[in-house]
Parts: sequence; structure tokens; C-alpha cells
Amino acid sequence: MDIGFLLLQFLTGLAYASSLFLLAVGLSLIFGALGIVNFAHGSFYMLGAYLLYWVVRGNPEGLWWGMLLVVALGLVIGALVERLLMRPVYGRPEHYQILLTYALLLVIEDGVKLLFGPAYKSLGPPAALAYPVWIAGAPFPAYYFVQIALALLVAGLLWFFLQRTRTGALVRAATLDREMLEALGVNVPKLLTAVFALGVALATLGGAATLPMQTVSPGIAVEAVISAFIVVVVGGLGSVWGALLGAFLIGEIQAFGVLILPDFAIAFVYLLMVVVLLVRPWGLLGRPPAVRT
Amino acid sequence: MKARGWLYLIAATLLAAPWVLPGYALEVAIQVLILALFATAFNLVFAETGLLSFGHAAFFGVGAYTSALLMQRASWPYLLTLPAAVGTAAALALLIGFFSVRTSRIYFTMLTLAFAQLVWAVVHKWYAFTGGDNGVTGLQPGQLWSDPHALYYLALLLTVVTFLLAVRLHLAPFGYALRAIRDNQARAEAVGLSPFGYLLAAFTLSGALAGAAGFLQVAWQRSAFPDFLYWTKSAEVIIATILGGAQSILGPSLGSLVFVELGAFVQSHTEYWPLVLGLVLLGLVLFLPRGLAGLGGARAGD
Repeated sequence: MDIGFLLLQFLTGLAYASSLFLLAVGLSLIFGALGIVNFAHGSFYMLGAYLLYWVVRGNPEGLWWGMLLVVALGLVIGALVERLLMRPVYGRPEHYQILLTYALLLVIEDGVKLLFGPAYKSLGPPAALAYPVWIAGAPFPAYYFVQIALALLVAGLLWFFLQRTRTGALVRAATLDREMLEALGVNVPKLLTAVFALGVALATLGGAATLPMQTVSPGIAVEAVISAFIVVVVGGLGSVWGALLGAFLIGEIQAFGVLILPDFAIAFVYLLMVVVLLVRPWGLLGRPPAVRT
Repeated sequence: MKARGWLYLIAATLLAAPWVLPGYALEVAIQVLILALFATAFNLVFAETGLLSFGHAAFFGVGAYTSALLMQRASWPYLLTLPAAVGTAAALALLIGFFSVRTSRIYFTMLTLAFAQLVWAVVHKWYAFTGGDNGVTGLQPGQLWSDPHALYYLALLLTVVTFLLAVRLHLAPFGYALRAIRDNQARAEAVGLSPFGYLLAAFTLSGALAGAAGFLQVAWQRSAFPDFLYWTKSAEVIIATILGGAQSILGPSLGSLVFVELGAFVQSHTEYWPLVLGLVLLGLVLFLPRGLAGLGGARAGD
């Protein structure tokens, strides 16, 4: 195994990690601020891919403005879902929230089938990126670099938003103590709507960004949401950097696991999830739950 | 006695069903019983301990695969595979429970989910042993168990036994101990209960009974598939339980009846059953927080 081949495998893992990050970081944000385990998160990811296909009418050249439009649609859909469905279940036992978001998963899956048909959809990369880059004598899709750059850009913007803006500081505060925030006069319900909308928009962006490389079907939602869970559990529920680290680890384990035991690469990933939950249940970069008295 | 009258009526209905129901409806009725058994088993952990397992499909599936593989590879008679299916499911539940029941709430849910998906991944890919994603098909459970009447009564027997066991445990000191741990772990420990032992016992028993449900599924479907272990199967049993009402002892069975019958009915009219189910669940969560059993206002067993 030469070094060039390993580099290629590493980059493939990185591209996969990039789409995992976009998918999972919203789930993590939503769990952090709202405390809701969103089983419909993979469905928003899947919906994003279909929305992109719809807005560009199957024309790959519309990718850039199409992705912007999908993000805008994601924000609107997220805000509506939070207002109409999530708000009534805050403070109720977790299983109601799980049931509600699972119901949403079912509705979105069949809704997409009704609206777009059950057939697989695919959209190639724009012509400017539809060629391979040769790395160590092997072809590597140029579009993968776009995905990697997009993930890094989003990570950077999220860092700026959470660490350098007032609203970002409020979101971080909401993950720590919502009641205190409310007592300080912050409009918490509005803040939670914004966080949920942002999380959904990120998932739709993630789905849209993978469409040029992957065919999608409504069925990818149930696989996507599990991948997102693995990433945030490994990285730490509620932590953005955790999502980045988790996505990186899972992407690379998949890429290199395939070389060692092709059939069981996915089992390695679940094993990592089990081990992290046993050793550090709050995740690699998560915060241990505060002890309340 | 009004309650006793109802009991006789339900018993008579359940016993007479195979002779009244036409072929397809009988197949659906068996599916109701299998899910009712599975949901009652699941609820042993969920209602009594408050821990939401998202990994019960693993026990259901491992029970099913044990039965299927013993029939296919070792030519065991169907009925003899029951203890083996229950045994392997119990062993797996003991193993997963050993690591999981120490953790709390969301971490327990995530850990059971992760373990179950790990088992699914192995079953899904281990072609040499489990047949991989092709599953184990073309099973012959024998002449007797190919007759839906016989299978119905077997399913009824196992479901009723599980149900009575759940009632018995709920009323036994064991049930009180579990609920004490659920309501206040620190206080339960202070009076000398060991949460770990109680929770592990409940989890193992629940997993073992879920394995019995998997055993029945094999005869009904004459095959076993990796989907039996996938996380959506765990979601299904949670839905059936909450649909019926987890806090009522009859809730899981009632929920299974509604879930399977509604599914069969809707599927005969449209392929969009998940959409209908999703809308029903949205309505349930938003407007009927205590499940169907909550409609009557009674909380059996409390």
C-alpha cells in the first residue's frame, strides 16, 4: 500500500466526513439548545436533496444559487415545524418528543414520495467540476473538494456566530440554562425557533450538497439520521466541535475500515459509538451533565 | 362482577377468532399477537423502570435468527427452537443490559440503539452465517405450524403467558422495587435496593420475551431478515406501546391491535401507510398524550 493510495483514501474519508458534519451539526445544535432528540433530522437532509433537484429542475449548473435557495427554504420549514409541532412538547417526557419527530420522519418520507415520485433522483456536478483531479495517479472527483471546503466554511461561520455574536452567546447560554435565560428577559421561544430553523437549514444544505455525487431516494433518511446520531454521540451531544471531530472520525473509519474488513466497516463505526458511550457518555468534546441540587 | 364478564368476553373472542376470521384476517391477527407480545415485553422495561430502550429489535431479531438458523442448518423441529431463541435473546440482553442499565435516560436510549445497530450490522453483513441481507428464507416449520390456526393458538398462548407474567411482576415486590428505582434512585438505594441488579434482571427478562416474539415471527413469515434488527423495528414497538398507553398494563396489546389492524386496513387502500401512521402519531402526541388507554381515564394496575 503506497502513500498516494492512502492519501486518496484519506481524502475520500474527508469528503464523506464533510457531508456527515453538515448533516450532524444541526442535530447537535438542536439537542443542545432544545434538548430534543430529532429523529426527523435525516429527513430534512433527504428533503434538502429533493428540494435542490426541484429548484434547479435537474440542471446541474444551477447548483450554487440552488443551494442558497434550499438553505432559505430549510430555514422557513424549520421555523414552521418548530412553531407548530415542537413547541407543544417541550418539557414533556423524552418519548413524546421521539414519537413526534419519528412521526415527522414518516410524514416527510411519504410526502416526498407523493410530491416527487418514488424514483431515485440524481444530479451531476456542474460542468466546471465534472472532471477528476489526478492524485498519485488515481482519479479523485473534483466536486469532493467543494464538499470539504463547504464543511470548513460552515464550521468557520458557526464558530463566528456562536463565539462572536450576541445571538450566538444566547444560543450557548440556552444549552446551559434556559430558565435563567428566560429570567434575564431573553425571548427564549424565539431563540429556540431560530436554533431549530438553523439546524434544519444545515441539514437541508448537507443533503443538497451531496446530490451532485449521490443518487437519493426517500429511504436515505433513516440511514442518515442514524449516521448523524453516531457523529453527535461520539463528538458530544450539543457540541459543534464535537460534531466536526465525530464526523472526521466516522468518515475516516469508514474509508480505512473498508480496506481492512470491507463488509464490517459499518460495524466498526457502531463499535466506536458503543465504546464512547461507555467510557465518556457525554462524548469526546461534550460537557458532562451538570449536577443539579 | 362486571370486570369478570369483560374478561370472559375477551377470552371467548380470542379463542374463537381463528374459526371466525377469514384466511387473511387470521394472518393479520397472528401479527397482532406477535407485536402485542413484543410490546408487552418491551414495556416491562419502559413502564416499570422508565428506561426507553431503542434496541429491543436486537432481541426480537436474534430470537428470530436463532430459530431460523437452527431449523435451516440443524433441522431442529420448530417448537424446540423456542427455548434456544429465548435463551440467546436473554444472553444478548444480559450482555447489553450489563453495560447499559448503569447509564441514565438519553444515554441509555443511545447506548441500546448503538448496541442493537452493531448486532444488526453483523447480521446484515455476515453472509457465511446469517445469509447477510438475503436473510434466511424458505423455512419449513412443519405441517402443524404451517396451519395458521395452530400458529395462532401458539402465539396466543405465549402472549397470554407474557401478559400474565407482566401483571404478576407489576404486583410483586420486584415491580414495586423497579418503580421505586424509577421514581427516585437515590432513595431506593438508601433503603437498600440495588438498582443495577433489579434493572439488569428486568432488562434481561424483557429481552428474553422479545426473543419469543421473534421466534413466532419466523413461523409466520417462514424467513428471517436483517430488518428484524434494524432501528425502525425498535421504533415500531415503541410506537405500538405509546399508542396504546405505556402506563396501562393492557396498553401495549391495545396499541398493537390498533397499529397492525390499522396498518392492514390502510395498506389495502393506499401505499401511503407511513404517511397515515405519521399523521395519526402527530395527532396522538399533540392531542392524546396518554395513549388510547388514556381515553377511558382508567389506569389499570395503579
